[in-house]
Amino acid sequence: MNLDAFAGCLSSASCLITQTSAGLIIGMLLFLVACGVTLIFGVLGVINFAHGAFYMLGAYLALTAYQLTDSYLAAVLCAAAGVGLFGVAFDRLFMSRVYNSNVLMQLLVCYAFVLILDDAVKMIWGAEFQSMGMPAVFALRPLHVFGGLVPPFYVFLVAVTVAIAIALGGLIERTLFGKIVRAAAVNRQMVSALGINTSLLYASVFGLGALLAGAAGALAAPVRSATPGMGVSILIESFIVTVIGGMGSIAGAFTAAVLLGLVRSFGSIGFPLFTDGLMFGLMVIVLLIRPQGLFARGSA
Amino acid sequence: MTAHLAIADLVKHFGGVVATDHVTLDFPPGSLTAVIGPNGAGKSTLFNLITGRIRPDGGQVLLDGADIAGLAETAIVARGIGRAFQIASLFPSFTVAESLAAAILAHRRQTHRMLTRFPLAAARGRADEVMHLVGLDAHADRLAQHLSHGDQKLLDIALALALDPGVLLLDEPTAGMGRDERWQIIETVHRLWSARRMTMIFIEHDMDIVFKIAQSVRVLKYGRVLAEGTPAEIRDNDEVIAAYLGARYAKAAP
Amino acid sequence: MLALLACVLTLLIASALGSKPLIDTLMRLAIFGLYAVSLNILVGYTGLVSFGHAMFFGFGAYAFGLLMQTGVTSLPAAALASLALSAALALIVGALCIRLADIYFSFLTLAFQMLLHAVILSWVSLTGGDQGLQGGIPRPRFLGINLADPWQVFVVTTVVFFASLLAIRTILQSPFGYALRMVRDNAPRAAALGLPVQRYKLAAFVIAGLFGALAGILMALYVSGAYPNFAFWTLSGEGMFMIMLGGIGVFLGPVLGAAIFLLLNDTVTRFTEYNGMVMGVVLLVVVLGLRQGLLDVVMARLRPR
Ligand SMILES: Nc1ncnc2c1ncn2[C@@H]1O[C@H](COP(=O)(O)OP(=O)(O)OP(=O)(O)O)[C@@H](O)[C@H]1O
Ligand SMILES: [Mg+2]
Repeated sequence: MNLDAFAGCLSSASCLITQTSAGLIIGMLLFLVACGVTLIFGVLGVINFAHGAFYMLGAYLALTAYQLTDSYLAAVLCAAAGVGLFGVAFDRLFMSRVYNSNVLMQLLVCYAFVLILDDAVKMIWGAEFQSMGMPAVFALRPLHVFGGLVPPFYVFLVAVTVAIAIALGGLIERTLFGKIVRAAAVNRQMVSALGINTSLLYASVFGLGALLAGAAGALAAPVRSATPGMGVSILIESFIVTVIGGMGSIAGAFTAAVLLGLVRSFGSIGFPLFTDGLMFGLMVIVLLIRPQGLFARGSA
Repeated sequence: MTAHLAIADLVKHFGGVVATDHVTLDFPPGSLTAVIGPNGAGKSTLFNLITGRIRPDGGQVLLDGADIAGLAETAIVARGIGRAFQIASLFPSFTVAESLAAAILAHRRQTHRMLTRFPLAAARGRADEVMHLVGLDAHADRLAQHLSHGDQKLLDIALALALDPGVLLLDEPTAGMGRDERWQIIETVHRLWSARRMTMIFIEHDMDIVFKIAQSVRVLKYGRVLAEGTPAEIRDNDEVIAAYLGARYAKAAP
Repeated sequence: MLALLACVLTLLIASALGSKPLIDTLMRLAIFGLYAVSLNILVGYTGLVSFGHAMFFGFGAYAFGLLMQTGVTSLPAAALASLALSAALALIVGALCIRLADIYFSFLTLAFQMLLHAVILSWVSLTGGDQGLQGGIPRPRFLGINLADPWQVFVVTTVVFFASLLAIRTILQSPFGYALRMVRDNAPRAAALGLPVQRYKLAAFVIAGLFGALAGILMALYVSGAYPNFAFWTLSGEGMFMIMLGGIGVFLGPVLGAAIFLLLNDTVTRFTEYNGMVMGVVLLVVVLGLRQGLLDVVMARLRPR
């Protein structure tokens, strides 16, 4: 516990800026992963415990793509598309077989894949930390904002994520696909009764969720080092995000993710030991007073 | 108040749907009442409200004069309201005998015992009795999930009966059955009622059954009470004919 | 009776053969067997799929180790105190988790277990962080039993294992056990019959946590320490893996599952460092191919429908 450092940071503009921007990028990554979790849960009614592994896969794919092409853009697209496709395959070949089984089966399939993917990554990329480094395009001087330093990449990451969030919101609120997704979240049986091709729907939602996780991994690659098993902690945190924000709510996920990101970054200065506890504390409070989450539609 | 069970001004909304719209009804002790109405009229919802499965938005449910609206489902069962479901709701991996013994133990609040062996001898005796009442003795050791559809409905009723309720609510006891099977189950139901004189309320779509056994009938539509009276009165009620019964009964009316 | 017989038999065989590897294997089997059986109280009998059961295994191990290290002089007292603390933890975590249905429950249990893991890692002054509890666990004599002697540790573990199994079996065969099955099969119907469903779920959670912690205590005794991976999510996953392998619907299924799992894991580890890959594939085959545990399959064959 270091309250002096914490108070010192709060009273210094530069530290505030630095920590806020660091918190924001954590929040953005969390949002992208949590979005997938919440979408898949909303439509398919299963929680994809392998979602963290998708994120990891995205980071590694981006790493390799960047080394091969030297283009960060290519790396992001490659990771998003690759993981998206993987998600579709995972859904069609494996998850779809246990949709109608109990939770245990679904969980075990995901668990098996976490084991397999972690080891696959170890085989291909090795067990050590790998880092992409800052892509050349972003190797610029940091921006000075009120005396705080903000790396240009941070700005890019936030901008891209906000754009994705808006696009996703539009997709869900304004398109036919979105309408079906929302209907499925309310009543899954009804959607299949309406003669909608549920296999296609499920695969595309799974793919979309995986794509977002892959993109998150790629966006994280310049600022995080990649390691096998890196998916677990972001999976847990993204789950906390969905609990706080409310399952099925994109706006809720965004707000909660930013909140959690800030808790993480400021907590690491003031009370590094209790940051996890603080996040969980938040979640427990929400569970106790509003179990359906802060932004859930209607009552649970 | 002479009613055993009375409902006063009960209201329930589901989003925009008013499933129960200021319903007031009463059921005298030992009566056998049919509740009818088109699909979606709010019949099952009425049962859910009475048994505390869902909470009313307003109004009262009076059992022997005491308001039980808003109490927990378990508290309401404890006061003697038993219920069978529209779609048989069973414990698939239990045998018939086990299901009944478990229901009895749950009702007697003896399920916290960890050191004695299930089923307690006393519960077994009562389970046999109930099995005999509904005529499931032959299937005592079959798993609930392997019973025929009709026997599953019977077991569901038996589960409610095991609690020895003062009020028994049966949600479409004959749903999804063939003609003969229907009359069989209705005879059982009627026999139970005659033998024990409990207050029984059943939801039914088959008008022949309703008019044959019910002492009185309540008609619901769009969550409201459209009519109530004896079978004969209901049969002659123009509104009910127009709204629900249709041409067949219209012709039969003098 | 059968449990007593099996217990004595195990001890006799082990003492007759007296080989160290055999005793080690049996020790681990007893510990993980008990762990898996305790998890199956939730998964198999109550229908609560906990993905965080290692939380109790780890908590029990650390609580016991720390109590002994801080100078509690009586080993049984420390064990009982650890169990009481574990039950309290299970009560709090359980009360929060059972508010949520199904898969939500799985995730929440996982999350709480990872919280415990994070606490263990970061509270270095108390727990030794990622190095685990340092300095061994003192084992003062009690009732003439000397747990510094590996053979006596083995005897105690075996006795505790069989006694626990007997206790769990008794509980599951009691009216309480059938109430749990009612909750598993059809919770709304159980409620309509007057069963306070939430309370039973919580009770099951606490009982499972208690025996999970007991397995953790045995582990701490065995390795004379406690390590963060006792509370890591992989151990929770492995618990479910064991249950799935052996059979969910049969009381001893998880013990068989634990045996197969340990055997498989030891074998695979000998040949490759990528044992996660192999275990993952095996798990997929069992889940998607068999869709049941081995004993489930056997029982289904034996029982005429
Ligand atoms: N849990 C619920 N959530 C939302 N709407 C509900 C719920 N339960 C019932 N409804 C709605 O309330 C209305 C009344 O339904 P209810 O099941 O009571 O009808 P019913 O008279 O039993 O019909 P049926 O003869 O088909 O069984 C319907 O419009 C139904 O869609
Ligand atoms: Mg109905």
